[in-house]
Amino acid sequence: MATTTASITLTSSDLLSDSLALSATTTLYDDSTTATGLTQCAVGSVKVHVTGGSFDLIPALASAEDQTQYVYIANKNTTAANYVLISMYNEIIGRLYAGDWMFIPWNAYDPGGDDSSKNDIEVQALVGGPQVVEYAVFTETSATNLDASGD
Amino acid sequence: MATTTAAISITSSDIMDNAVSISNTATLTTAGTDTGLTETTGLARKKFATGSNTVLLDSALASGIAADVTAAKSAKVYIRNINDRGDGTKYVTILITAVEVGRLYGGDWMFFPWEGGSGKDVEFTASDSTETTLEFMVFHE
Repeated sequence: MATTTASITLTSSDLLSDSLALSATTTLYDDSTTATGLTQCAVGSVKVHVTGGSFDLIPALASAEDQTQYVYIANKNTTAANYVLISMYNEIIGRLYAGDWMFIPWNAYDPGGDDSSKNDIEVQALVGGPQVVEYAVFTETSATNLDASGD
Repeated sequence: MATTTAAISITSSDIMDNAVSISNTATLTTAGTDTGLTETTGLARKKFATGSNTVLLDSALASGIAADVTAAKSAKVYIRNINDRGDGTKYVTILITAVEVGRLYGGDWMFFPWEGGSGKDVEFTASDSTETTLEFMVFHE
């Protein structure tokens, strides 16, 4: 096993009448375990062009039922007006504007098979030039976390 | 305007042969601008004891933050499952509309942009009906 931790710190000195300083850290474990750390990860960087369509950033897998996955995505663009839409199963989660990031647990199970697109994490750029999107996915180890060949 | 930052650090010394160290800081701004977000729900804590699907953030309301969180505006959501991890089998499934985003086990947190708008509730379903405590906070314009 491996030990992977994810920490967040939310801070502001002027959003509220008193300072905001919120921190949380979690260790990424396999489903139904208390000390077995996730052991697979994939890290990437892509340029997302405006094409009128969305792309599968991280495909869901038929082998991922009841497994634990976490996903980090960041829009590395620097032009404030630019954003990418992040969706899952055609449901828009939200817009990642330039400089934004997100971290979510992910239901990576594709009940229709690897290529049915159910629960894929999708990205679409609607404005601006190609936007650099970085991502990382951390998964547990009970199956090969790769899209099956043949598609 | 206000200046609010969200910083993340993901580290592992042994998930790969080389250490993984990802860090990033975002300044939370209104949609498409450099102007900082100025509104928030504040940090809320709620205890639940149900295994049924429950609305955490209701986009169907006609007022309050639901009226402020729309596709054209910027909103960020933080949610943390405050429970202990226990035996690792208890979790809260987070959904947007009817799509299951993922499971927050005890101690886990998530931070994501929220599209909002009609029907875009943030919901949860606990894996059982024992008490679950969630903390959550929305930053919005």
